[in-house]
Amino acid sequence: MQNFRDALMAVVTAGNPQANHASSQRAGPRTAAPQSGFAPWKNPSLSPIVRFEGITKRFDDFVAVNDVTLDIYEKEFFALLGPSGCGKSTLLRMLAGFERPTQGKTIVAGQDITDLPPYQRPVNMMFQSYALFPHMTVEGNIGFGLRQEGMPKNKIAERVDEAMSMLELRQFAKRKPNQLSGGQQQRVALARAIAKKPRIVLLDEPLGALDKKLRQQAQFELMRIQETTGTTFIIVTHDQEEAMTVASRIAVMEKGVLVQVATPGDIYENPKTRYIAGFIGDVNIFEGTVAAIGDGCIEINAKDGYQFKTRSSEPVTVGQQVWLALRPEKIRIAHEQPASAINAIPGKVEDIGYLGSISHYHVRTAPGERITALRANAAHTVERPISWEDSVWLDWPVDAGVVLTG
Amino acid sequence: MNRRFSWFNATSITLGFAFLYIPILLLVIFSFNESKLVTVWAGWSTKWYGSLLENQALKDAAWVTIRVGLMSATVATVLGTLAAVTLVRMGRFPGRTLFSGMIFAPLVMPDVITGLSLLLVFVALGFDRGFWTISLAHITFTMCYAAVVVQARLQDFDKSIEEAAMDLGATPVSTFFQVTLPIIAPSVISAWLLSFTLSLDDLVIASFTTGPGATTLPMKIYSQVRLGVTPEINAISTILIGIVTVGVLSAAFITKRQSDRMERERRKAFGAAG
Repeated sequence: MQNFRDALMAVVTAGNPQANHASSQRAGPRTAAPQSGFAPWKNPSLSPIVRFEGITKRFDDFVAVNDVTLDIYEKEFFALLGPSGCGKSTLLRMLAGFERPTQGKTIVAGQDITDLPPYQRPVNMMFQSYALFPHMTVEGNIGFGLRQEGMPKNKIAERVDEAMSMLELRQFAKRKPNQLSGGQQQRVALARAIAKKPRIVLLDEPLGALDKKLRQQAQFELMRIQETTGTTFIIVTHDQEEAMTVASRIAVMEKGVLVQVATPGDIYENPKTRYIAGFIGDVNIFEGTVAAIGDGCIEINAKDGYQFKTRSSEPVTVGQQVWLALRPEKIRIAHEQPASAINAIPGKVEDIGYLGSISHYHVRTAPGERITALRANAAHTVERPISWEDSVWLDWPVDAGVVLTG
Repeated sequence: MNRRFSWFNATSITLGFAFLYIPILLLVIFSFNESKLVTVWAGWSTKWYGSLLENQALKDAAWVTIRVGLMSATVATVLGTLAAVTLVRMGRFPGRTLFSGMIFAPLVMPDVITGLSLLLVFVALGFDRGFWTISLAHITFTMCYAAVVVQARLQDFDKSIEEAAMDLGATPVSTFFQVTLPIIAPSVISAWLLSFTLSLDDLVIASFTTGPGATTLPMKIYSQVRLGVTPEINAISTILIGIVTVGVLSAAFITKRQSDRMERERRKAFGAAG
């Protein structure tokens, strides 16, 4: 009996290698190991569920999306991030079928859907305004997509109930959208988008209308729904924290162009350009030229006279203009001069931003540069706290910074 | 708001309303006159309303008017709604400006010209003039009003609601019937009421496009008045005023209630967001 079951399992696994692979990789809770297990984009044998091929969208002379090529894999929670007007929403709307690309192809699960109308696409969207049908009840809204398929009534009721219980909407089933709060409307919109069990759910700034506390709850709810349904989610947002929280990978867009596609950790630790470094989190940037290239490290002559030594994987040449990007939390701040003279600068504390768990220190250096350092307020009382107008030393190890060339 | 009472304001308002409504009021009052002479008051009576019921010619005219009104209001509302949807939803297409201009031009066209040009068309096409030609003519001119009413509602309609329906698998036609139409229904109803009212009190266009056997109530009243005003005319006119008032008021009421509700929802949404 046991042997038979094993044999059956083997057959099932062989018949459906992708599904099995993905689910086993995603088994552990994400919070424990942020990006370690799940990385289908690194697996060359997997084919993407969504592929944008050289997508360009022009509105008259305005280029909203410029030659975007992008692969998104099954079960990913993918974020398109950028300021308003960067083309992220247009890209999403092209996937939903509301806009037609001027050039390029959209491929979903191996099928070219560039010319398909919205109502024939295997994707469902959650709108920024929620776009609930005001004349239908919560039930009616959630069941709308299923009714279009001609599903039998009892089956629809079952699926609607499933979606409602997943989003704790059962007690509102008979209400109309205008009898619901903003947070409840948002959950109805999400329930409606997942009710048809589409392969891909698109979310266009889904939490933009909620206040901060509700938004954080809703982010975790989105992640929970995405994991329990095993659906591919693609979210458009201008909120970098939101993207970092929910996404398995982030695509940063600027003026219609994809600037970087990477995991949240990669984007934060290894931003490709100064724009990304500044857009995601706080950053100190030093401009300079490459003075020397050593074993894995380079020396930089900064514009204001300092000399920095830093590790760099970026291919650079001596004399090239580069920027050193340093996250505030990677800079150590102390009263005493550090033992090693590498990457140490003196300065004066100009401002302190006390945020409870952490403090930001804004330090003015002798040449007039302003550097932000960040320190966790770990101890309950500190013998000699850093205060305004104190002379301090800032220093960081060689692997703290990132060398940027653009 | 300036709530100060001034004699000047009070006088001008009184004069203005008196100018507008005294003739109508007189007509209504004299419809209850006992005397056969229109200008001489001889006490209250409703006998002229009773004698209306025996006047076969007036009853026929009323029946024609109602049939023309129902027919033209219905067709005009359908066509006007389609035109409004096209104008608001289809985005920019070649000739959009021309099309929208042409939809609204008949609003300001003198009735005489509309009537005359329609008459020429009917004669050229060899149509037998009568009920159908009046209906066609009324459809033509009331359709513009219907289009304007529906278009105003469609313009502040969240387009993503329709996109959501299509995203969930509804074709454009089924989106229109399942989502768009139920939401704009109040404005479609007020468009119908407005069209019906306009058709009911049209004299000029009907006179141009009518033929033997199809006399509408306004035409009948006008021709009788030329032979002298009888209290019967006053009575039928009072009924007409009543119908028109109810029509216009309910159209206004429906529109008002709808815009109030939208405003409430908007405020609520804003409150929830902020």
